[in-house]
Amino acid sequence: MRKSLLALSFAVALVPATAYSNTTINGFASIKAGITTGSDEQLYGYDDTLDFKNESLIALQVKSDLGEKLSVTAQLLGRGRDDFDVGFEWAFISYQLSDNMTINAGRLRTPFYKYSDFKDVGYAYDWLRVPQGVYGLGFDTIEGLTFYRTAQLGNVDSTLQLIFGGYDGNASLSGAQVSAQIDNIAGITWELAKDSFSARFAYLTGKTSIDTSPVTLAPDFTVGNLYQALTANGLAPIVTAIDIDDESSNFIGVGLTYDDSNWIAVAEYTRVEVENSFISTQKNWYVSLGKRFDSFTPYVSYERENNDAVVSIYQPYTAVLPPQLLVPVQGLVASQERDASTWNVGVRYDFHPSAAFKAQFSSEDNDTTGQRNGVLALGVDLVF
Amino acid sequence: MLSRYLAIVLLLAASGAVMPVAADIAVIVNPANTTALTNDELTRLYTGRSSALAAVNIAESSPLRGQFDEKGVGRSSAQLKAHWSKLVFTGKGTPPLELATEAAVIEHVAQNPNAIGYVDATSVTDAVKVVLTLN
Repeated sequence: MRKSLLALSFAVALVPATAYSNTTINGFASIKAGITTGSDEQLYGYDDTLDFKNESLIALQVKSDLGEKLSVTAQLLGRGRDDFDVGFEWAFISYQLSDNMTINAGRLRTPFYKYSDFKDVGYAYDWLRVPQGVYGLGFDTIEGLTFYRTAQLGNVDSTLQLIFGGYDGNASLSGAQVSAQIDNIAGITWELAKDSFSARFAYLTGKTSIDTSPVTLAPDFTVGNLYQALTANGLAPIVTAIDIDDESSNFIGVGLTYDDSNWIAVAEYTRVEVENSFISTQKNWYVSLGKRFDSFTPYVSYERENNDAVVSIYQPYTAVLPPQLLVPVQGLVASQERDASTWNVGVRYDFHPSAAFKAQFSSEDNDTTGQRNGVLALGVDLVF
Repeated sequence: MLSRYLAIVLLLAASGAVMPVAADIAVIVNPANTTALTNDELTRLYTGRSSALAAVNIAESSPLRGQFDEKGVGRSSAQLKAHWSKLVFTGKGTPPLELATEAAVIEHVAQNPNAIGYVDATSVTDAVKVVLTLN
């Protein structure tokens, strides 16, 4: 189903304009280049070679208003790191139930975070990239339906969103691409805004399955091999305790924003839990502060990730596990330990009515590995 | 001497475009529209938080646009564009219709009972009603 963006642009351009009088085409693009500050460092997909592809992207959105409160929207996005192969990031039909109620169905963005919906639209925010310590979960899209209701509670603007659906796609685990599935996703988000302040709350649940068997633990020894060996040794219960097979999962997110168009402050806290698995409970947060000086917006932010390995799941078995199985089990569980903090400093410069130049330096201190990684990135975000 | 000075001032005022000082901006609606409008409601209309009236903008190339964004909505043009990008690329909203000239804004508002727009206060005609003046 993938097409080159160029072919698509031509196809769009060749369609007679008259037939599409209620169709609007918009787009956004980011061209970014980055490099790590040291030869043995790796962060956000960059290493010590200057890279222009990793975080660059281009997207076209076609929205057609079919009248009678029905519309259809498709957003095609190509990422540099996927060689700009284009895929549908959003594809949904929308029906306006009333002035303040809308229902969308199709491929949507999972509303985990405050910036989830538009995290690829760099022009919409000041940072060069959304804080990866919090936004690194993956599972960005959902196939399902969502319901929005806006209301004014006194002089507070309220936006309530309900979402239902499922995810079936890839996930990244300890650097390996694995297939993942989240069934029966149900969630609620609620955003309240008054003057310069806004607050957001999100809660989502689902049943997570991740096929971890291809993940390599040692040369010629995968997680799948480990599970087989454990089962062969009569230790099936420990497999059940650590694998990720239809496990109850939940996500809690809280966000606070202050934006008086002069100062902008943002903070988000998230907690992710996948029960009955080797995935540790992830408690991550960030705070960010920026100040606008006409066209320049310098900012500073701090991210914190604190994930304790769930050693308790194999402790009842330490006496019965032979060392050649205990060690890889411990390794698998320990791989989820992460204690890291990141400082970011950067600037947005609105040099053009539709484009912003950004520069950001990020420095991550990983206490689990004792490694420090720094990345300097520059780029332009634009909308059209 | 004084009258000549006055004449020059009036002449300059009439040709608002060349005035270095920003002129007053008149927020206009259809004469059939009887609603009163507050600054807060104006901000809501131009940020997509209210759709009680159909807002129209003047093209970005007009200096009036930047002045209205600051005085009427309280945001810089870049901030407002960033705001609308959030809504457009999440399917949550469509930015106000953009018209090229003040004459086109007046014509549009005169013909659409539900429309709201803005022009330089000196450009207002009988075809529309002024609900707010920003200075």
